[in-house]
Amino acid sequence: MTPTVSMIKVLGTVSLVCGALIVGSNIVTLARIRHNQEFIMRESVTQLLPGLQKQVIYGYNAAGDLTILPSLEGENVKRMFAGYDASGKFLGVVVEASERGYADLISGMYAYLPEKKVVSGFQVVDMRETPGLGSRIGSDPKFAENFQQLDATHPIKAVKHGTKQNPWEIDAISGATISSRAVGRMLQKSVQEMSPIIDKNLDRIKRGN
Amino acid sequence: MSDNAVSCHSAAPERNLADDNPFLNGLWKQNPVFVQVLGMCPTLAITNSVRNAIAMGLATTFVLTGSNCLISMIRKMVPKQVRIATFIAVIATMVTVVDYLVKAISIPVYKALGAYIPLIVANCIILERAEAYAARKPVFKSTMDGLGMGLSFAFALTCLGTVREVLGAGTFLGFSVFGPKFEPWLLFLLPPGGFISLAIWLLTFATWRERKAKREIAAAKAEAEKMQSVAVHA
Repeated sequence: MTPTVSMIKVLGTVSLVCGALIVGSNIVTLARIRHNQEFIMRESVTQLLPGLQKQVIYGYNAAGDLTILPSLEGENVKRMFAGYDASGKFLGVVVEASERGYADLISGMYAYLPEKKVVSGFQVVDMRETPGLGSRIGSDPKFAENFQQLDATHPIKAVKHGTKQNPWEIDAISGATISSRAVGRMLQKSVQEMSPIIDKNLDRIKRGN
Repeated sequence: MSDNAVSCHSAAPERNLADDNPFLNGLWKQNPVFVQVLGMCPTLAITNSVRNAIAMGLATTFVLTGSNCLISMIRKMVPKQVRIATFIAVIATMVTVVDYLVKAISIPVYKALGAYIPLIVANCIILERAEAYAARKPVFKSTMDGLGMGLSFAFALTCLGTVREVLGAGTFLGFSVFGPKFEPWLLFLLPPGGFISLAIWLLTFATWRERKAKREIAAAKAEAEKMQSVAVHA
């Protein structure tokens, strides 16, 4: 056997075995990975809408058309969650949003009450912000207080720490101003995009169909 | 004859258990971080908490053990021209497998380790062990070497993570160490804190190794003098 044939044979065999290992491990872990992701997302929705007993997942497009999604599968689907209490009363919606932060993309979920036009909660889902500084947007209780009744009728924006005067302003964390401002931009952009879609379909969302 | 035997015995260096045991050798004598100063990227980037350090250490251990085992298995079949390409393919496969496993076991840990899991493929410890050991030694020894080196790496990361989390956040594995009045030294959670912690540990290990070497030299000298006096008296 010539050296060239031998090299091709070895590389081909190694690639085949490696490919089989990768595909095999993907198949074995896929269900568990999906379960974990879905669990974390549903947990976030439950925390953002206290009293939630039932949730409906809606997919939406740019034209504002809603479709009910049977599960969370599909990475590039635009989604929102409508929450209902035990009696079936509509509590609010939870929307996914993301914005460029200091280190990388910050992904989050926020609760929006369409009748009051307020953001009633925010959670960071994924971020790579500086540990101990920017990462505090996901753990600082004072920062979380900004989102208890954040007015969405005006443009939401983050202001320098200690200078918040209006209910649509977010009091930035000192030492994490860039990350705080990214959260402000994220909410403003998302609310601007989502509120017309939610308003257009509010009756349907309230009924949960 | 007996004199000869004595002199031969005293001239030969005392055989260390770690020399014959690839596991112990990797675990302690050739610690990849504190002795060989390899794999500095994850060492500095990921050790801002003990949990992240342990998770990264275990992920690297899995990749090192698996890749050493596989590479040792195929070492006689691989032509030298495609040696590196083959090793990298095997290492990348193990990294992809560990990526799926971490994501399946714990999403929070996966998120905390972020981009550093795929970057294990570029960790110089792994290719170094493949080239220097697994490509030359039998499967069992290579596997043990990978396991020892991986656990040693995990130990070093945990040492660094402990200093950084305790001083930088006042916690250990998330549990408060100093109580609510402690003002954390945020510097230790930032990159400079990684360098400072690494310097503290490198200094500690270097001092310990130097003292150990001095003690061994002194003991060898004392032994030689003792043998000499025995020979003179005889």
